[in-house]
Amino acid sequence: MDCRPTLREQFKFNIWLAVTTATYLVTLFLVQHFKEWSPLVQVSVTLLPVLPGLMYLGKGLRLLRQMDELQRRIQLEAWFFAAIGTVIVSAVINVFNAHGLVWETFPHGLEIGGTYLLMFFLWTLGVAFSTRRYQ
Amino acid sequence: MKNKLRELRAAREWSQSDLAEKLGVSRQTINAIETEKYDPSLPLAFKIGQLFKQPIETIFEV
Repeated sequence: MDCRPTLREQFKFNIWLAVTTATYLVTLFLVQHFKEWSPLVQVSVTLLPVLPGLMYLGKGLRLLRQMDELQRRIQLEAWFFAAIGTVIVSAVINVFNAHGLVWETFPHGLEIGGTYLLMFFLWTLGVAFSTRRYQ
Repeated sequence: MKNKLRELRAAREWSQSDLAEKLGVSRQTINAIETEKYDPSLPLAFKIGQLFKQPIETIFEV
C-alpha cells in the first residue's frame, strides 16, 4: 500500500491553490482600479481570497490525515522550514525598510501575496530536502 | 536505532512494498526504517513486532 496521496487527491488539493491565486490576482486588480469603492467594500474584496484559502487549508488537513507517519514528519519539517524561513526573510526586509534602506520591490514588506509565494516556495524546498533525507 | 527489519523481511521473501502493505505505511517508510534513517513510532514498532511475532526489543536495538 502506498500511503502517499494519489494524483487525483493532489489535484483536488492544488486546484484550490490555483483558485486562491486567481482570486487574489482578480481582487488585486479590482482594488487598484476601483479606488472609489468604500473602505468596507475594498476590505471585503481584498479578503475574498481567504475563502478559497480556507478550502485549500481544509483539503490540506484531509490529505495530512491520509498520510503515514513518515509522510507527516516530512510535511511537518517542510512547514516548519517554510514558516521560520518566511519570518526571517520578512524580518530582514522590514529591518532594511525601517532603517531607510527601502527596497523598491518591497516598499511595504512582502505583503500578503509575497508572503504566500515565499512560504509556498520554501515549503517546496523543505519537502524536497526532507524527502531526500529519508530516501 | 539499529534494527533487523531487512533480514526479517528477507527471511519471509517479502518485498518492501509487501511489508508496507501489511503494516499500512508507505514503501518509503519501510526503506527509511531499514536504512536506519527513521525510527518508527511506538505503535508502528509494536505492529512490526506483532507481524513478525517477536518482541520489539529483539527487532530494534538502541
